[in-house]
Formats: sequence, C-alpha cells, structure tokens
Amino acid sequence: MSELPDTVCPSSTRSWQRLGDLGRDFSGITIRDLFGRTADRFSRFSLDVDGLLLDYSKQRLDTDVFQQLLELASECQFQDWRTALFSEAHVNASEQRAAGHWRLRDPQGHPQVAHQLQRLEILADRVHQGHWRGVYGDVVTDVVNIGVGGSELGPLMASLALQDESIQARVRPRVHFVSGMDGSQLGQLLETLNPRQTLFLVSSKSFSTVDTLSNAATARDWLSRHLGEGDALLRCHFVGVSAHPEKMTAWGIPVENQLTLWDWVGGRFSLWSSIGLPVALAAGFPAFMAMLDGAREMDSHFRHADPAQNLPLVLALIDIWNVNFLDIRARAVLPYDGRLKGLPVYLEQLEMESNGKSVDRQGNAVSYHTCPVIWGEVGPNAQHAFYQLLHQGTQPVACEFVAVASRQHRQDLGASRDSLAAQHRLSLANCLAQSRLLAFGDSGEGELEKHQRYRGNQPCSTIMMDDLSPTNLGRLIAAYEHKVFAAAVIWGINPFDQWGVELGKVMSGALLPVIEGEESPAEGLDSSTEGLLGRVRR
Amino acid sequence: MHLDVVGDTVCAFVTASEMARTGNQVTHHVTPGAASAVVSGGTLPYAEPGLQEQIDCQRAEGRLTLRSFDPTSNMHGVIFFSLQPDQRDHAVQLVDRMTCDADTAPLLVNQSAFAVGTCEMLQSRLRARFPDAVVIALPDVLQEGVALAHFQRPGHILLGCDSEPAELVMRNLLRPFNRRRDVIQVMSSREAEFSKLAISGMLATRLSFMNDMAGLAEQVNVDIEQVRRGLAADPRIGDAYLYPGCGFGGPGFSRDVMSLADTLKGSDLGAELLERVLEINERQKEVLFRKFWRHFQSDIAGRCVALWGVSFKPGTNRIQNAPALALIEALRAQDVRVQVHDPMALDELRAWLGDDSHNVAFCDTPEQACSGADALMLVTEWKQYWSPDWEHIRQVMKTPLVLDGRNVYDPAFLRSKGFLYQGVGRI
Repeated sequence: MSELPDTVCPSSTRSWQRLGDLGRDFSGITIRDLFGRTADRFSRFSLDVDGLLLDYSKQRLDTDVFQQLLELASECQFQDWRTALFSEAHVNASEQRAAGHWRLRDPQGHPQVAHQLQRLEILADRVHQGHWRGVYGDVVTDVVNIGVGGSELGPLMASLALQDESIQARVRPRVHFVSGMDGSQLGQLLETLNPRQTLFLVSSKSFSTVDTLSNAATARDWLSRHLGEGDALLRCHFVGVSAHPEKMTAWGIPVENQLTLWDWVGGRFSLWSSIGLPVALAAGFPAFMAMLDGAREMDSHFRHADPAQNLPLVLALIDIWNVNFLDIRARAVLPYDGRLKGLPVYLEQLEMESNGKSVDRQGNAVSYHTCPVIWGEVGPNAQHAFYQLLHQGTQPVACEFVAVASRQHRQDLGASRDSLAAQHRLSLANCLAQSRLLAFGDSGEGELEKHQRYRGNQPCSTIMMDDLSPTNLGRLIAAYEHKVFAAAVIWGINPFDQWGVELGKVMSGALLPVIEGEESPAEGLDSSTEGLLGRVRR
Repeated sequence: MHLDVVGDTVCAFVTASEMARTGNQVTHHVTPGAASAVVSGGTLPYAEPGLQEQIDCQRAEGRLTLRSFDPTSNMHGVIFFSLQPDQRDHAVQLVDRMTCDADTAPLLVNQSAFAVGTCEMLQSRLRARFPDAVVIALPDVLQEGVALAHFQRPGHILLGCDSEPAELVMRNLLRPFNRRRDVIQVMSSREAEFSKLAISGMLATRLSFMNDMAGLAEQVNVDIEQVRRGLAADPRIGDAYLYPGCGFGGPGFSRDVMSLADTLKGSDLGAELLERVLEINERQKEVLFRKFWRHFQSDIAGRCVALWGVSFKPGTNRIQNAPALALIEALRAQDVRVQVHDPMALDELRAWLGDDSHNVAFCDTPEQACSGADALMLVTEWKQYWSPDWEHIRQVMKTPLVLDGRNVYDPAFLRSKGFLYQGVGRI
C-alpha cells in the first residue's frame, strides 16, 4: 500500500488568502457586469469533453479567480491525491480501505469485476429471454429492487434515465424500487403484483440494513402466503446483491442467486457494480456496459487532463469558490429532461453524504464551510415550485442546469413523436431562458414596480449533454463522482466514509422496545422524546 | 373457364386443383417458398390427404399448369390468390404489375388472411390501370387434414363481394360445390374479411376460456372433463372447441386471431379481449412445462423429457406456432434434454431448429423417446399415442410422470399402471 499524500489545510495556503481578497472584490460585481467587460466569456469559461459541454461562464468569476482556484488545487496536492485515488492507497483512511469504484469500470484490468459482470449478464439474460421462472414455473415479468441509499438511488436514477433504450428481449421486465422503512411503499406495490411472476432483488452492501431487511422479510412473507414455503421459493424469487455472501446465505438466498461486490466500493459509488443489476434489467445489459464505458472514459479524462481543462476539477472549484468565498451555501440541481428525474436526489446523497463533513483528515475541526446544501427537481416542475425563491428570495443559490441537446423518441410512440419532440424543444427553451434570467435579471427597462423586478446575479452552470445515451450518462455520473473527490481533497476531508449516519441507527434500536411497550423510557431521557413517546404509547 | 391461382398455401393448391377438376383451365403461379419445388415436379410440403394425387392427376389431364410466380405475368381474368399473411407485398406487386388479356376487366378473388380493408386497398390500386376491375373476398375457411373434402362440401361460404357481375361469375365457379342447398352468404368484402377473423377469434376465445377454467378447476379440485360435458350439453353453447389443453397453434388459426388483434389494435378501439385470449394461449403452451417444473420443485436442470407430437394438430406436418415449439424452447433453456417423437413433423422440427439442435433428440418410435425420461409430455393427440404399451414405457422411464396436454388418457387407468398422471384441469 502506498503512502497517502500530505493533507494541507486549505485556509492556510496563499491562494486561499488571495481568493478571500478576490471574493471581497467580487461582492459588488454582477454577472451582467462580467459579460459587459468580456464579450467572449462563453469560449473562455466552458469545457467540451466527449459529449458533455460545461458552460460556467455565468458563474461569478473571472480569469484571475480561476487561476487562483487552480493554484489552490495545486497547493492542496490535488495531483498527488488524484494519483492516490487510482492506486491501492487507502484514501478512505477512517475505514482503512481504498476507494475502487473506478475499477468497476475497468473489468479487463480486474478479473473479479469481470467475473461478477459476467454473472450479472447471465442473470439479466435469463430474465430477458423469459427463462427466469417463479416457483410455479411462470415467466418472471416484474422485478422489485429492495434497497436503500446507494442500493436504490443510483440504479433508480439510471433506470429512469435510460428508459428509451430499446432492448432485445422476449420479456422487458417492469422494474420497481422500494426502500421505505415503514413498508407503505412495498405494501402498495404488492397489491399490483402477481407473486408467481415477481422476482425480488435484495440489495444491500452490508446485508444488515434494517430498512432493506424488513422490506425483504415482508416480501418473503407475502410470497410464502401465496405460494407456500420451501427452498424453491427462495431459489425462484430472490436474488441477493451484497459484499457479504455469508449474510445472504444466512438469510436464505442460495449461492447461485448471489451477486457480490466488495468493501472497497462505497455504497453511493456502487451503481457500476452488481448493485446496478436493475439498470441492466430495465435498459438491457449492452446499455449497462455502455454506461460503464462512458464512466471509464471520464476516469481517463479526470486522471490525465490538465487541471484547467479537467471537467470534474472545474466543477469542484466552482463549488469551492461559491461556498467559501462568495458565501453561497446552497446549490440547486435542475435537470431539464424528465428522464433525469432521479438525478437531484442521487446527487443529494453522492455529494452531501460524501462531503457533509466538518473534521479534516487530521481529525481537526475545519474552520471553513464544506459541502453546500444541495436539492433539486426536474426544472420545468421546479419552476412551479421553488423558482420564486431563486428569482426573488433573499438566499443566494448556485444553479446547475442539466440539459440534453437532442432526443430521439422511440419509434413505437408513432405519431406522438412529433409533439413529444416539440415538448422537448419547449423544455430546452425554458432551460436557456431561466438560466439567463437568473444570471442577468430583468433588463431594467420599462416602468416596473419593485415586486416585479428580477435582480439576477444567481450564478449558473449548464451541463449540456449531446444526447442521453448510456455512454453520456456514464460520463456525467463519473464526472460528479470525481468532482466530489476533488472538492474533498481541497477541503481536506475524507469523502468516502459516513460516520454521521451511524448513531441514529443505534439510538433507534434503544427506543424500539420502549415503543413496543416492552421497556419503560430510560432515566434522564429528554423531555421532548419523553413527551413524544408518551403520545405513541398512549 | 380460364383461371389463375396465385400462392403457395394449402388453400391455393386445393383451389387450383378443385377448379381444374371441375373443368376449368387453371394456371397456378406458385410463390417462392417451401412449395416452389412442386412446379418442377417436386412433392408438396403439406401432408394434406389426397391433395398430391389430385394435383398430379389434374396436371396429367392437362387442365392444371404450375409455374413460378412472376408479378408481371399475363393473367386470364379471374385470379384467385391465397398467400401467406406475410406475403401481402406479393399481392400489391401483382395488382401493380400484372397484365391481363381478357375481354372483361380482371376479377381478383382474395382468399388470404390479410387485415380488414385489404380488398378495398387492392381494388383501388388495380383500378389505376383497369378502371372496372373488382377485388372480392372469399376467405379461406378450410380445415387442414380435411381440406379437400371441406372445399368440395362446404358448410357455408362467405363471399365478400360488392359487384353483381362479379357475384354472378363466382356463383358459377362455385356451383359444383353449392348444389344441395345454397350455402353462399354474400356481404361486403370488408365484412367478409372481418367475419373470417371474427370466427377464428370466437373459437380461440372458447379455447382460452376453457383453458382458464381448467386452471381454476385444478385449484378447486374439480375435473374439467365433467365440466366440459356439462357445458357441451347446453344447446346455447354446443360442444365444439371446448377441449382444454396445452394451447392452440398452427399457421391458420393463431395467425387469424393475431391478424384480428392487429386490425383492432390499429383502430382506437383496442382488442382487449382478444389480446387476453392470445396471452392466455401463449401461457397455456407452457402449461406442461410448469407442471414439470412444479413436480421437481424447480430443480430440473439435467433432466430429460419425452415429448410426443410436434405438429400443431394430428394429421399434418405443420408446426407453425405449435405449442411443442414453446415447450422445447422452455425446456432447453433450463438445460433439460428433450426426446421428441412425431409421426410426420420431425423434419420440420429439424429445419426450425436449424444449427442449434442442442439437447434435442429425434426418436423413431414413441417408446424410444421415453427411454430414461423424467416425464412424458403428450402435446399432439396423434391416434397412435392413445394406447401405447404402458408396461414397457413405465419400465424405460426414469420417473413415471405422464403430463397429458390433450386430456386423452384416463387418469384412473394410468394411475393403476403405476404412473403419476396430470392432465389439464383434471384431478
């Protein structure tokens, strides 16, 4: 195992000080001013990388700022850390492991990855050919992914995104996702399913996630009530995906129905592993592989491109500039394509669970902000929800538009294709209009009342994909993954652990017996919890 | 009269040879496909009783001439065409390119199962060159295996014809087959096309209904055979097409239902019931697979099945859409070896499998197919399967499990011979 590079406290670097000064200088400068000063901002502040165009010219920065940001990355040992990521080094130091999600995209270099991919392909093929059978011999038509967090958000996002992919199959299974701990999601879904034709994927890296195991138990109970108990039931209706085969076996999933991943893959980075099985089922194995290919290309870009041209790094630097020097602590993710409906919540987890940290790699509390608050929604819908705040509220928010330049609608939509194509163009027009308005505000012309004014100056980036092919989706998602890592390097934090989600599980374990009436509330419990418990136990 | 017949279906050969037998001069234009060899003296690819002999006889008599189809051929005035449903292009080429030396305008008689409205479409194309041309529908309702007899003594004839002169010509041509009483029912060409499809749809619906009932009967411990007799005794229902089984197939029947379902799908009405009928039928084709799977608790890899009967029904070698094909595919996909016997259709099965005959064995005798088998599946009720040497079969089978897809065996008798018996809807 190679040594980790030094962790530099970013706020002690020269460039951090200099950026602080620049940030203060920028307080009075608007985006409108910047465009007034420099006519060709688009060509200076955009990147075109393999099917992805990043336009960050509507960010509140200029060449000086950008140079200093690059300097900051360099002072924070960005290049050494990047090398460490693509090695065996334990970049996830608090859990003493490497972070190997990039290996999942390179099956040729990693035989164990290739082996699992091959098993995934065989499994998906059996479903698609109508050869996966339920315990009564019926063809499986519905697949339910039971998983939460990384075992749901990535596969769900990608399955929705690739819904237009045509697939060579006798059976195109309906793929459903359930995660909710309280079972209301699963309960509702079960009413619509035929137990004889339903296959459950129990997907949990640890195979100890209580949300997932309780849903899986409900599913198993439902199946055995309808179809009877027995080994054949588990063999025909359950597939497990986990890094812990022994736990899958203990639960009852037969070895031949187990797909595995490894501890060196973080849950929120695991879309590319067997966890991505629902994507292969919904969009076809070739599409899944194309997504991996796209991600591998982005790995190569991130690894080799110069910092100034490096898309993930530039995305990270923009966040750092906004958060740490312009004090903009919120970012909205706004896809203008309904197929990217799952992207905002996917990024919420990827970014906030990775970089929502306040202790650096040395174990010291940081003196600066890290990950902003991230939220989002499909753009045109968000226009009718929270754009009011973006345009006229008091909070500065960085806005990230994700658009798809061209869309080929499926042949089978027939005559509706023309009107759907028109809708796509309408959506693009809205995307471009909103980012203009957010950046520049109203023109200031005419007699407008104060409440009718748009002050503008919300910094905006647009990621324009040529089309939403599996390859481009792979590139986009891998770019976000590396952006998260690049930002973490500069903030000096470890993006690959998530200690902040542990204690709540333990505490709920202590409260459950109280709610079930088996124990009395512990001595010295706070009065709020005591009061709420009282109402539950009434 | 001088007639032309175009196509390579059983109906085309029957029509051509029957028209020749009743004194017409017939030129049969055989479209490229399995039957093209007949032109140069080869044998028919259809095992239709008596048909080959009749063709040979009419050729010898000089009234029947066979030639290869060429859309630019010169036609004689009355042209029957009986094409496969996927050969609509041939019909279009023909109306666009044929020549005709008759004094009267050409009369086209469509016997093919095309979508509703095809006759009208062809007529309007043909009229671009022959302003008085007429296209009428004479739907093919022949039953395979008894097609000649059926043509000679039809129970009824649907004639979709909107032109009086054309009707006169047709009545004259059909007169030898319409003697005892007038069985010709005249309607518009669209109505005839639709009626033909609706007949198939209704029959298919009865079968799928019975199959659905059979599934329920098993669950509530009722013998479907008793139920079937009860239903058949009701004169409002009658006894035809009430046999549950492992699904229907064949080039005609299932194709017509699909064609009707397609016709309705194209309209905004949708064909909800027919789609379900077809869906139930596709499911039903795997009913024996499911029984086998269930019997062995899904642990079937490496096992072996004897399959009796591949053709879609007895008396023919045709296997299009036959339930046996679905079964063979389902079994092979689970790594089960299938030992197949059929008195006539093994060559067709070989051709259908092509290069990939992995896990399929072709057997010369029904008994041979049973050797080492974990189950015997009866799929097509050829008469020779009704009373085999059960003692011998039980000795050579590995597991004495009989899955009767046509309910032809007596459960009590087979059980007395030491077999495990499961029919479709039987207890």
